[in-house]
Amino acid sequence: MKVQIDRRRIWLIIILKSFRPVFFLATGLFFFYIINLPTPDGLTIQGQRAIALFVVCLILWVTGLLPLAITSLLAIVTVPLLGILDKKETYALFGNEAVFFILGAFILAGAAMHSGLSSRIALAIMNRFGNTPAGLVFSIFILAAVLSFFMSEHAVAAMLFPIVLEIAKGLNLKPGKSNYAKSLFLALAWGCIIGGIATFLGGARVPLAVGMLKEATGINIDFFEYTVMVFPTVLIMLLIGYFWLTRFFPSDIEDIHLAKSVFERKMKEIGKTGYMEYAVGFVMIITILFWLFFGKSLGIANIAIVSVVALFILKLVRWKDIEEYVNWGIILMYGGAITLGASMEKSGAAAWIANTIIGDWANSPLLVIAIFSLLTILLTEGMSNAAVIAILLPVGIGMASQFNIEPKLITYAIAVPAGLAFCFPMATPANAIAVSSGYITTKDMAKAGIVMMILAWVVFNMTARFYWPMIGIKL
Amino acid sequence: MAIMKEKTKTYLHNPGYLKVELMLKGIRVDGKALKKANLDKCRDVANITCGLDIILPHNTWVTVPYADDFVNDSPYELIESEGKFFVREGAESVNVSVVPTPKFYRLKTTTGISLSKIGIVHGGHVAITPATQCDFFNKEIECRYCAGNPDIKKGKASVYTVEDVLETVEAAYKEGKAEIVYLSIGFSETADGGIEFLKPYIKAIKKHFNTLIAVEALPPKENKWIDETYAIGADSVLYNLEIFDPKLFEDICPGRAAIIGRKRHLDALEYAATVFPSGTVASHLIVGLEPIESTVTGIDFLTNMGVIPILPVYRPSPRAKLPHYKMPSTEVIAPVYGYLYRAVTTNKINTSWVRDISVVTTPLEGRFFVDDNARMQTFAQNFYKSRLGLKAAWSLATLRRKLRVKLEHSD
Repeated sequence: MKVQIDRRRIWLIIILKSFRPVFFLATGLFFFYIINLPTPDGLTIQGQRAIALFVVCLILWVTGLLPLAITSLLAIVTVPLLGILDKKETYALFGNEAVFFILGAFILAGAAMHSGLSSRIALAIMNRFGNTPAGLVFSIFILAAVLSFFMSEHAVAAMLFPIVLEIAKGLNLKPGKSNYAKSLFLALAWGCIIGGIATFLGGARVPLAVGMLKEATGINIDFFEYTVMVFPTVLIMLLIGYFWLTRFFPSDIEDIHLAKSVFERKMKEIGKTGYMEYAVGFVMIITILFWLFFGKSLGIANIAIVSVVALFILKLVRWKDIEEYVNWGIILMYGGAITLGASMEKSGAAAWIANTIIGDWANSPLLVIAIFSLLTILLTEGMSNAAVIAILLPVGIGMASQFNIEPKLITYAIAVPAGLAFCFPMATPANAIAVSSGYITTKDMAKAGIVMMILAWVVFNMTARFYWPMIGIKL
Repeated sequence: MAIMKEKTKTYLHNPGYLKVELMLKGIRVDGKALKKANLDKCRDVANITCGLDIILPHNTWVTVPYADDFVNDSPYELIESEGKFFVREGAESVNVSVVPTPKFYRLKTTTGISLSKIGIVHGGHVAITPATQCDFFNKEIECRYCAGNPDIKKGKASVYTVEDVLETVEAAYKEGKAEIVYLSIGFSETADGGIEFLKPYIKAIKKHFNTLIAVEALPPKENKWIDETYAIGADSVLYNLEIFDPKLFEDICPGRAAIIGRKRHLDALEYAATVFPSGTVASHLIVGLEPIESTVTGIDFLTNMGVIPILPVYRPSPRAKLPHYKMPSTEVIAPVYGYLYRAVTTNKINTSWVRDISVVTTPLEGRFFVDDNARMQTFAQNFYKSRLGLKAAWSLATLRRKLRVKLEHSD
């Protein structure tokens, strides 16, 4: 633990330190103020209370003064206390399929990482295709993306980071100076980000959005359907990403033979492929096939949990090994977000907001998609993508039902851009991990990322405009 | 500088002068008075902490040597009459209090060590040296004025355990003698200046008692250890430069000069003054071991940095390596204390911390040499000595630490 002494004037420290209690007091007062306002026409008292709670959660999620999970727990307990929903109903929402899918996905990814399978795949691919500077950047970029199709992008970034760091060190690249190092770390981050939106597995935000949609409307989006809708965006963004990466940070080295020795050493360290890796790989493949082809009929959460049970029956993992890979905070956060979303929907608050605030300009589905995706892509640069979904989706779904827009489309318009955060380290752990290397600065990331952000929004909307109708989606 | 006062009449009625006189000349006292005062204290003149603790008027504490050989020529005598004590000089006398030997001195720790060996009380403070070793002695580069510690034998120093120290502090605390716990450590060749060694003691004392802690050590090599010192619970720190004159510093303190360096002493003090509260960072400048002008320059230098100079007067010792040293007279010393008072007040340094020190004239006691009432400072000091004031000081120190210290987890 490192000690630091704040040597500023004591009155200044007191003022700064008192910000937190004052903030919470003000938020509490604001909450009571909203609750005690006269209930507007068309809004129920439960709806008004749901909006008050929603505003408080929005403030807490945006500011991050409480952990996301704790804000969610606050939402869960407040919903029945304010009489917005019944106790039983509120807590039942936590048992949503999405929550269990996320739990299962965490455990499966944890098993893959613990067995060493994911590292082996990563090293093998990089060793095979990374023969030139451009080839190495490409292989990291594509590898990060492809792995993020199957496991959480955060886990992929964390897994590949030490390898990329060793490559950068092995090549004697100068932190903060070398263009090539910048392109390597951005390839890692952007690969994870773009790949992370491709399936339900890239991050927990898509299952969260799907869960919220299902709770609010009863409509489901299955694994295969989602991937089909999103895949063109992923492919185009991968092409654009690689092009932009190599143009914005043109390589300043020619020889990467030193990187090869890093791969060889690492490969030697992990030894030959063992039974555990084969077995975990087999379970993973079967699971993914079931998700793709039987997700709708069997339920993605059921498949995930059965696979988890299989891992334990086959003694491929122990609970102790898995615990460190399960992010309970995210699971709590999602449970709370789903509860809050359902309370907004069921109390009529979401519809009222949609009608009152956004109704005037909601005259075409494409415009709605454009605006929601823009709002999402901007917000997700500054806050947790799950929080963005928790904030925007209840309103979006409320709006869809008010204006006869397919709620699924709004869900896509929020869930997909929520993962496309290219500019800042605080936006997503993949970016944070890349900046933590010291080889790339926040400024570099922001400069290169802003173009990607704009292009991502354009590509997503172009896909919606031209590709979705081609596969039978009516806008 | 204040004009030197000629000794034309008795100093009995000025507690500042009288304190200096008594420290320099000692006091004659007969066995009857000692018995009446229930006193049983050490008589080692070389050790300035040995002597009778007497409270002069205006609550001025002084530790007065009373060993026979030393005080034969002293004009001062302690007398007792009807249960009251007086310091008498010729025909005149002044009423004083004599502080009885603390009761806990008679107690032992559970491991059998006498508590009086571990903790020595001065006023409301208890001074503890958990390890009596100073590596300067082992390298034979000790400070030349230092009489050395008889416990030090080539690294085999007494080391008291945390439990021993806690028992001592507890006993002193119960007697009201632990307003401030002074923990000191000699030189050890570690980058932290010994704070890592003191850490468990400081933490344990802070955990069990609502008391303030002062640490006397040598400056650490890096400022992060000063941060650490404050963060773990020290409320005050003393890095003693001892001699301000650069040349004399090298001559008299060869170990400090060679291994730590004068610049590092000053840099550490300057930094510490930005970390610790006003008036809690102090440094000794020994009066009489360098020209008075140099001490005065040192006072200016330190007070400008927000550091409180503490000016002990050196009493010669046969064991020290300063054979030609002569003790300065009260008339020479007095103006320096007056100057110290002015310098501290001009630089608005809090004087409430360095108080009730019986072995040295405190900056606020310097007011007696410049005829200043210092009403606000004395009011503040008296307040901080009250039960309420002690609680307030402890609470404010704790709150300040809570506000200033940031712990960053390295993961």
